[in-house]
Amino acid sequence: MYTELFFGSVVFLAAGFLIPLVLYDRDSRAVRKASLGCTVLAAILLGSVSLAILMGGGSIAVTVYQPLATFSFSFLVDRLAAFFLLIIAMVSACTGLYAGEYYEHLDGGVRRNLLCSATSLFLLAMVFVVSSANTLSFFFFWELMAASSFFLVMYEYHAAETRKAGLFYFIMTQLSTLFVLFGIIALSWQTGTFSLATRGVPVTVLSTVAFLALFLGFSIKGGIIPFHKWLPYAHPASPTPVSALMSGVMLKIAVYGLIRFLLDVFSPDLWWGVLILLAGTISAVLGVIYALKEHDLKALLAYSSIENIGVIFMGIGLFVIFTTVSLPLLATLALLGALFHSLNHAVFKSLLFLTAGSVVHATGTRDIERMGGLAHRMPWTAALFLTGSIAIAALPPLNGFASEILIFIPLFTSITVVDPLLKVLMLVCLSLLALTSALSAACFVKAFGSVFLALPRSEESAGATEVAPAMLAGPGILAVACLFLGVYAYQLFLRAGFTVPIPDMLMTGTLLVVMAAIVLIVLHYTSRQPVRVSETWGCGAPSQLSSAEYTGHGFSEPLDIIFSSVYRTRIRNERAFFDDRKTLFREGRAEIRLMKVFEEYLYLPVARFSLDLATRVSRFQNGCLDTYLLYVFVTVVIIILFLGWS
Amino acid sequence: MNADFILYLVLNTLMVVAVAPLFVSMIKKVKAWTQGRRGPSVFQTYYTLAKLFEKEVIYSPRASLIMRVTPVVNCAAMLVAALFVPLVFVPESVGGIGNIILFLYLLALAKFFMALGGLDAGSSFGGMGSSREMSISAIIEPTTIIVFAALAFVFKTLNFFEMFAFSAANGTVTTPILILVGISLFIILIVETSRIPVDNPETHLELTMIHEGMILEQSGPNLALMELSAAVKLTLLMAVLINLILPFGLATTLSLAGILVAAALFIVKGSVLAGIIGLFESSMAKMRFFQLPSLFAMAFFFSVLIIIIEVFA
Repeated sequence: MYTELFFGSVVFLAAGFLIPLVLYDRDSRAVRKASLGCTVLAAILLGSVSLAILMGGGSIAVTVYQPLATFSFSFLVDRLAAFFLLIIAMVSACTGLYAGEYYEHLDGGVRRNLLCSATSLFLLAMVFVVSSANTLSFFFFWELMAASSFFLVMYEYHAAETRKAGLFYFIMTQLSTLFVLFGIIALSWQTGTFSLATRGVPVTVLSTVAFLALFLGFSIKGGIIPFHKWLPYAHPASPTPVSALMSGVMLKIAVYGLIRFLLDVFSPDLWWGVLILLAGTISAVLGVIYALKEHDLKALLAYSSIENIGVIFMGIGLFVIFTTVSLPLLATLALLGALFHSLNHAVFKSLLFLTAGSVVHATGTRDIERMGGLAHRMPWTAALFLTGSIAIAALPPLNGFASEILIFIPLFTSITVVDPLLKVLMLVCLSLLALTSALSAACFVKAFGSVFLALPRSEESAGATEVAPAMLAGPGILAVACLFLGVYAYQLFLRAGFTVPIPDMLMTGTLLVVMAAIVLIVLHYTSRQPVRVSETWGCGAPSQLSSAEYTGHGFSEPLDIIFSSVYRTRIRNERAFFDDRKTLFREGRAEIRLMKVFEEYLYLPVARFSLDLATRVSRFQNGCLDTYLLYVFVTVVIIILFLGWS
Repeated sequence: MNADFILYLVLNTLMVVAVAPLFVSMIKKVKAWTQGRRGPSVFQTYYTLAKLFEKEVIYSPRASLIMRVTPVVNCAAMLVAALFVPLVFVPESVGGIGNIILFLYLLALAKFFMALGGLDAGSSFGGMGSSREMSISAIIEPTTIIVFAALAFVFKTLNFFEMFAFSAANGTVTTPILILVGISLFIILIVETSRIPVDNPETHLELTMIHEGMILEQSGPNLALMELSAAVKLTLLMAVLINLILPFGLATTLSLAGILVAAALFIVKGSVLAGIIGLFESSMAKMRFFQLPSLFAMAFFFSVLIIIIEVFA
């Protein structure tokens, strides 16, 4: 039954891929509606089957095609895979609803059909990555996912910015693929098989190399700092539903890969866990610090994704550490925290991306300094964005809190049990996690405040209107999910068979409602005078100007100064004088520029090195047939020698 | 959920709302004395709140729904947080009420909405307040969490109810570490309740105000709710300090006499602490905003030191 449902959803996704491809030349809304409708149907089927497996047990195991004795395309959906399929289903259903309206507002005519088609292909690839039963098909679909997402990013290819972002993304994602491939090959040398369930591979040099390669591959894909730069480039450049899918779902596929390999393949060492934990912590803190500085709405969300993936990696790192020091209960908690945060981040981040997309659509700008006052003009979008902001700031009773507390609790508890050196590590990570979540609250006060509150700071913003209902429905479902996953977190874990020591959020949620009701009743019975809307005291200024408001930059200025060592700025002063004694000033230029630390110190040197290498290699290419014949001859001789030798 | 617990919910809420304005006035009284003034009556905050409830609400034409819901959400979050800190009577915890992490995040929820409310009317005073408040709360957070981790470490639990029950059973300070934690808790109290040297609760000058800036646009009953929430927050953090360091008299079983004694003792202990806060504030000058991180760093290292001492002791 499960298998049929699973393949039903695959068929729908394939239909979503093929319909617009076949009817490529017909620029009609119906074609795109059909394609996205198939996607939504597929997502509903996929969601129900994965929910059934997740809650009820059972699994799907099926081999589709066996081209070689040692290799087959076979699928295995166990509870872990079902969980990630649920993430894909949830986000893609809501994104599909949203995209049905959003894609119609894009330029590009028939290319929009291809966009729908590529979206389905992208989803199909992700479904197959998660349900792959062996490493080779995992790799194959991993690459398909990378390629299809590249096309999605490149949709607005005529813009130079998009081309740059696309190229950046392509290189990074290919690097990721390369490392994953290398890891898989090293792993197969170690184990002699491509299976994804060779439990307990011992820690040898080869398996360590395999782990490091895979970890690097997944980190690049997941946007772990310092491999994160593609996110703030690719997300703003791509159409909104694509950003939502990439940030909400694709990053989680990297998380899935890491968890799958750690759980079912390796038997990790302690330092692996420390490595993952530190990588996660650094990403979490730096991600949110960079997000604070950002004033491009979608880039801000991209940096915040880096932060959240960091938090998820922290959970995974803690899981590995606690497993190796035999604290299975804490390990389970940390892993559950990482998994639950993956789901929650998928939900609230796609909610935020979709509503941000609505805002960008309505105002025509991504710069939050040019927005403002949208709460009056787009009240529903504002309410949805606010829900997402509360969730991502990890505030109770929404879902962000429910998963962060799951990572907090093992950190708190472990301080009493682990050995002193690990205690220090735990304390450092605990305080940095606290810093991260407090900064992300500040970041989203800034984002919501600058976008939706006060007066509009540009004409586009003043003239914005609420988006179509279809663009509210998708995010609306996600907002309800934020509330549901937060309030019922405890009960959901019980239902799935885990008793977790988190507070019952249903209780707190109910109490919040009760208290709010009491306050409202008290207000109702004590108020003697009607409410008045009138100009409030502004220190004698006759009327308020939007230019006098606090902007996003102004809001984050104190934190900018406090964390100024993180934001490396470069100040340049150039002055020219009329005379030699430098008394008569002629002209000057002063410039403060935010240094792109990672690009200047990590990416560019690597790029220069590979360019250098390529130049050297290109000397072999002289375009003369004789030379190439010589190469072939030498190669053949070497092969013969090598074969004769062994 | 049993009858005891429901009784606790009602009792604790009433108690915290009843005593919170008293402590605020007491701090003001002590500060006035140190300045050689007589100062307002200790019941002045009650009068002020009553007066504000009578007044009309004025919203700026620029204000959105955020401005209207902020006082309610803020007050509700603070009242729920109040249930996490038993003032006079400690029952068995139900459904994770009393969890220290949830407590901190409920305070953060209130702060989140207050900061949004500050930005809503578009006044630069509000924006300044919000921006500074969120910055300060972000950089004090590592210290707060480490202090709470130290508490969790000492008491081997994440729940205030169990901590208080444990300290009440012992009656006195159980370990010298607690006194050190108490100092860190005191710093957090000063920071979280916007007091000198971090903020100045008395002035409405743009150079100093943080908390006052955010609520500048609120009026009438809404302002009363914001003021009450701030007072409740002060009382809660004071109660954490009192019930951990000086727990004697805290009731663990439900009896009228026990609760009355505990309530009386709590008011006495709270008044003493309010006096200490007043003296502390009077003895200091407001710090420059960008010097605050060093104060917080000091508090942070102090609390880490506590844990390390405890670990290696």
